[in-house]
Amino acid sequence: MHKLIWKKDILAEIYTWKSALWLLLTALIYSVTCYLLLTNKELSLLDQTEMLWLLGKIIIGASLLVAIIDASSLITTEFEQETIEDLFLSPLPVRDFILGKFLTVMSVWALMYAVAVPYVLVSSAGSNLSAVFLAYAALYGTLLIAGFTVLVFGLSFLYRSFKNTLTTSLVLFLAAGIPALFAATLKTGIVASVITAINPLDAAFASLDNVLVDYHASLSANWPYLLSILGFSAAAGVFLFVSVRIFEKRGVIKE
Amino acid sequence: MQSNEIIKMNGVNKSYGGRQAVRDLNLSVAKGEFFGFLGPNGAGKTTTIRLMTGILKPDTGEIEISGKPVSEKSHRSDKIGVLSESKGLYEWMTGREFLRFFVSLYGVKNLNGRIDELLAAVGLADRADSPVLSYSRGMKQRLKLARAIANDPEILFLDEPTLGLDPQGQEDIQRLLKKMNDKGMTIFYSSHLLHEVSRLCNRMAVIADGALVADGTLEDLRRQTKKEDLRDIFLALTK
Repeated sequence: MHKLIWKKDILAEIYTWKSALWLLLTALIYSVTCYLLLTNKELSLLDQTEMLWLLGKIIIGASLLVAIIDASSLITTEFEQETIEDLFLSPLPVRDFILGKFLTVMSVWALMYAVAVPYVLVSSAGSNLSAVFLAYAALYGTLLIAGFTVLVFGLSFLYRSFKNTLTTSLVLFLAAGIPALFAATLKTGIVASVITAINPLDAAFASLDNVLVDYHASLSANWPYLLSILGFSAAAGVFLFVSVRIFEKRGVIKE
Repeated sequence: MQSNEIIKMNGVNKSYGGRQAVRDLNLSVAKGEFFGFLGPNGAGKTTTIRLMTGILKPDTGEIEISGKPVSEKSHRSDKIGVLSESKGLYEWMTGREFLRFFVSLYGVKNLNGRIDELLAAVGLADRADSPVLSYSRGMKQRLKLARAIANDPEILFLDEPTLGLDPQGQEDIQRLLKKMNDKGMTIFYSSHLLHEVSRLCNRMAVIADGALVADGTLEDLRRQTKKEDLRDIFLALTK
């Protein structure tokens, strides 16, 4: 039944122009970034690998932001437009409901990734980094978006409100994103090292640096970073499991 | 107790946030009945329907639908249809798309045939391909009714189905329900309008402040209250 939910939500994305808006927005962000990287006096002085690293951060960051906003609305609108009661009166299991919603976010991510490909190819022209760049962007983008989507779904079942879910999700995104923007030289203390180790966004960006700037492209060289992201996704999975149990205990209609 | 009872509630209690919404409710509905459930606003009608349809869990007591506990989801979703008070529509869809989605969720065979049948039953065949957003309130209610019977349920629960509809809209819905009941569907009809319930239902129960205050035919209620006028009967029972 997850396919029915997925199909319905994809249709909603198309009919309400949400996906088109997301894709246009991401294309605009990539275009401005590439334009600045190639024409701005300061930025064009960057080494090509640094330039690609910056583009990678923007692709993952922008896609993650869009995925968080989209995921925040997917479950909560069912509560807010009061369709949840009819969905759960049907034989639809909660598991299929969540899986359908999850596939919708991943489909939007796949489209955003496809939009990013030409920008990556243009920016990496002349280097042999395009394939490895695309592979790692796909890997980390998919894992991060999956982890954050699961986290946002957990919040959605607890709050049942778009505004509250979105606000909390954005705070968490900023909390993960801000330390990731600091240069590695600023993150040398123990606290900073711990934050880096548990912050999935930091781990993804550090790994991209490792791959693109330091040419350590093998998976074994990036295993600690991958472990950090997988750990985050697993924790988000546990959180979703707990919040679904709470939802089932409270009932479809909040008492 | 009737031997062919299809809905059975025994000693059901439900409270939220310190307020007792339903108290020691005992109720039974026989197969094929058009059963009216009356009460003023806030009396506990919606909570009772949500308990009977498994959307809410009782604090104490037992609820059975067609001989099985309502907590059995597969049995429940097979046997019941619900037209609730909630908005419950995807307004960006067309009426046909909306029904296709719900009929598919129930795994109904001959999908297109069933959708056409439902659209014809509620008189929306000519507007099936228009967006739900463009429907009038009455049309939306008829679409919700079509969704509620998508699985061809044995029991149909209706929570204030004519609320906010004009007389023509009310008449349309009531005619449809009467037709369904004539075909053997058990109907549990909740309303705060005694004249509506008395016109449609064979038997009725009255709830006030979460407790059952009367159960029987209109004649039984007249005898119990010693009143003739419908409004007086309602007020006497629910004051």
